[in-house]
Amino acid sequence: MDETKSNTTPGELPLYPQRDLSYEFLGLRFENPFILAAAPSTDNLEMVRRAFRAGWAGAILKTTSVEGTRVDLAYPMMTTFTHEGKRLFGMGNIDLISEHHIDKVEANVRQLKKEFPGKIVGASIMAGKKEDWQSLVVRLTKAGVDLIECSFSCPQGNIGENPGKMLAQSISATETTARWVKEAAGRVPVSIKITPHVTDIVDVANAVKRSGADALTASNSIQALMGVDIRSFVPYPQLQGRSSYSGLTGPAIKPITLRTIAEIARHVEIPILGTGGASTWSDAVEFMAVGAGVVQYCTAVMHRGFRIIDDLTSGMAHYLDEMHFGSVTDIHRKALPHLADHDALPRHTVRSTIHEPLCIGCEACYLACFDGAHMAIDRGPGRVPKVDWNRCVGCGLCQHVCPVDGCIEMTLHEN
Amino acid sequence: MEMTQQQANAEAQRCLYCSDAPCRDACPAHIDIPTYIAMIRSGNVRGAAEVVKTSNALANVCGKICPEEVFCQTACTRMKLDAPILIRELHYFATRSEARSGFSARRTPPPATHTAAVIGGGPAGLGCAFELSKLGISVTLFDAKEPGGVPRATIPSFRLTESELGDDLRFLADAYTVRRETVTPARLSSLRKEFDAVYVSIGLGLDRTLGLKGEHLQGVLPVLPFLESAKRGTAAVPDRVVIVGGGNVSLDAASTAKRLGAASVTLIYRRGEREMKVWKSELEEARRQGVEIRFMTVPVEIAGTESVVGLLCRHTKLSAEKDASGRPIPVDVKGSEFMIRAECVIIAVGQVIGSDLAREFKLTKKGYIAVNGEFQTSVRGVFAGGDAVAGEGTIVQSVAHGKLAARAMQRFLHDTRRASRPGHV
Ligand SMILES: Cc1cc2nc3c(=O)[nH]c(=O)nc-3n(C[C@H](O)[C@H](O)[C@H](O)COP(=O)(O)OP(=O)(O)OC[C@H]3O[C@@H](n4cnc5c(N)ncnc54)[C@H](O)[C@@H]3O)c2cc1C
Ligand SMILES: Cc1cc2nc3c(=O)[nH]c(=O)nc-3n(C[C@H](O)[C@H](O)[C@H](O)COP(=O)(O)O)c2cc1C
Ligand code: SF4
Repeated sequence: MDETKSNTTPGELPLYPQRDLSYEFLGLRFENPFILAAAPSTDNLEMVRRAFRAGWAGAILKTTSVEGTRVDLAYPMMTTFTHEGKRLFGMGNIDLISEHHIDKVEANVRQLKKEFPGKIVGASIMAGKKEDWQSLVVRLTKAGVDLIECSFSCPQGNIGENPGKMLAQSISATETTARWVKEAAGRVPVSIKITPHVTDIVDVANAVKRSGADALTASNSIQALMGVDIRSFVPYPQLQGRSSYSGLTGPAIKPITLRTIAEIARHVEIPILGTGGASTWSDAVEFMAVGAGVVQYCTAVMHRGFRIIDDLTSGMAHYLDEMHFGSVTDIHRKALPHLADHDALPRHTVRSTIHEPLCIGCEACYLACFDGAHMAIDRGPGRVPKVDWNRCVGCGLCQHVCPVDGCIEMTLHEN
Repeated sequence: MEMTQQQANAEAQRCLYCSDAPCRDACPAHIDIPTYIAMIRSGNVRGAAEVVKTSNALANVCGKICPEEVFCQTACTRMKLDAPILIRELHYFATRSEARSGFSARRTPPPATHTAAVIGGGPAGLGCAFELSKLGISVTLFDAKEPGGVPRATIPSFRLTESELGDDLRFLADAYTVRRETVTPARLSSLRKEFDAVYVSIGLGLDRTLGLKGEHLQGVLPVLPFLESAKRGTAAVPDRVVIVGGGNVSLDAASTAKRLGAASVTLIYRRGEREMKVWKSELEEARRQGVEIRFMTVPVEIAGTESVVGLLCRHTKLSAEKDASGRPIPVDVKGSEFMIRAECVIIAVGQVIGSDLAREFKLTKKGYIAVNGEFQTSVRGVFAGGDAVAGEGTIVQSVAHGKLAARAMQRFLHDTRRASRPGHV
């Protein structure tokens, strides 16, 4: 296939300067904050090569394990969570770790580091016994890997003492295992990929910190049942009349990931690699603003290809200019000072204000408030609704059902 | 009409981001359409404008009046699902928004190694000059008028505003030095010595005539000068105007005449509506203005003694035979003469090259400047493009022509330098 064609304009002379987005994170130099998450896109040397040429700063090669680990895949494995016609608003998968065992991954690391010395080549690993974890680490570090990510959170079963439960769901197992890995990794940074499916994410993060591991990858896919065929009653994905739970990824899980990252960043001092629901440059800004140091992309790439990197870097560069930021590191943690626990939130009187010239008269706000809030909006003349400030409590529902950008605003009132 | 942010977003969300997108091949300038649409969708509107401008130097002009219905949108995959994406309007949205908030800084072009003269500052000349400057070739642009070509001088301002063209010219201005000068054949030979290469993009500019009785009468106007004076604000029309034509230019003239206050404007065309190869937007505008279109009608004679009093016409019918364009040839219906009363007759039946520079070159059968695959004319070191080479075309085709020619000129300069290096065989 002609690979130049699908990415940048063939033969078009560059007109604009390339903005330098590089910075340091985990002692490594990232040319931009966009890297590929461990997934099918990083399981094939040729694909990673194309991603690097397209401009991705790095990749976490898909999770591997020791020789002899059974990887028994079942197909089809992907499902779309289509919301109101929008495909892959969420994506489900029943994939397992890579079918390539460590030999192959080790060779890929060597090859990629040789061809792309400036790119970050990470590798993801998963094992059970201490010797296995450590032998994987030793082989990868010898191959020149820049970063080791440990999957403690594969939702489709796990290798370990406690099958069916994720490693990262046990505080003690997390700490012990992470310590083994870090011991063997020496100077190479280690990140533990955790799951948001825990009672208290802060406890997990603290366990990782105690282990001596360098970072957390937060988080991973969300356990989900993708849907049920309402005529055959076979849930999705359908494998000859059977199905199973999936890992949900993509835009649908972004708010969950943001909360997970924020919660860790607010309470534990540890670098975070963000993953789960990022698809645009502005998602990366949000991830970084709540504490991520670098952002991983998976579903977005599976959906639209490596070429999305053009918009990620261009969008980020223009955003930095607009904000007068010198580097992406200026974004880091910017949102955290604004986050507070519920009891610490200000108690002001807010009311809904409809900017009448913008109103198109759909009465969606009227209906929402009438049946879903406080019956505080009255139908007005010419279909322009009127808010009764005596009944309006300021919940904000109307603002969010309004189809017109900027038409309804929540305004602050004297107490 | 410019889209709002919300409209642009909604439209961008319809894009399927086809791999190896067919729309991009269908755009003569090969703008990376899926990439800029993805940028609009992500909120990176400035990035989107940059992608458009990287491929099309007249981004705002094309955003406004490029006939997308014959280019990009004909290839949109989404059409097979429901309706094509409004590709042109989306790039108009992006570049207008960039123009308003300030152009992105460009990279510094490579230091100039050669010089080139571009004769004619229309879309082809501007496209070529801009590409040459990106290649590190220093450009002097010669034009008898202010740069801008037909879009500046002729295309009605109700379709293309001064600010839309102005934004593009402002953006391009530092890519070349302008010399306001009509280049004569003698001057061309001196320019060949003064510059390493020359590009000729003199457009067409001269109206074809009908060769009918009465064409010299007062009130008979060739369409280009009519549109030019209308654009300058110096045109006046009488009560009744007849336009002979059938192309986009005749529709522009008809709409213009109506807007200037003519009570009745009649456009006559020798074939039927189906054979009329015009852009939908132009036809709609003319109809909105109340222009009457009489199909299957040919002019026979312009009536009057000193001034026009009317146009004698005849009905036609379509024969089974087809012409080169694949359309049936109209034949006159004998004895079907009738008169359309009018004080003004505008002739819009096509154009030829007006400048006497054309005589310096080998011409095609149709009278356009002949070039080879590398855009070289019969005169060594002189390249040509745009309407003067291709005949009546479009802005985007002319820009693309200029871009390609610039690359060919660079290859030529590179080869010449190699050949002239001592010891080179
Ligand atoms: C009324 C009208 C409406 C149109 N509408 C559209 C439209 O909506 N969309 C679209 O895409 N296309 C449209 N077109 C077509 C489009 O304008 C042309 O295809 C395009 O302008 C051709 O570009 P060009 O650079 O080859 O020539 P031109 O635009 O004709 O430019 C030639 C330039 O050369 C200069 N010149 C000529 N001779 C000399 C000389 N000897 N010395 C110095 N300078 C000289 C002229 O002053 C002029 O500026 C329209 C054309 C017309 C006439
Ligand atoms: C098909 C598929 C396979 C995946 N395989 C792995 C894997 O082997 N190891 C791992 O750590 N994460 C794996 N993931 C999770 C991704 O790395 C990523 O964390 C997740 O998809 C959430 O990010 P996203 O919303 O950008 O897709 C996989 C995801 C998908 C969709
Ligand atoms: S995406 Fe590729 S591998 Fe997967 S089912 Fe389709 S063709 Fe087969």
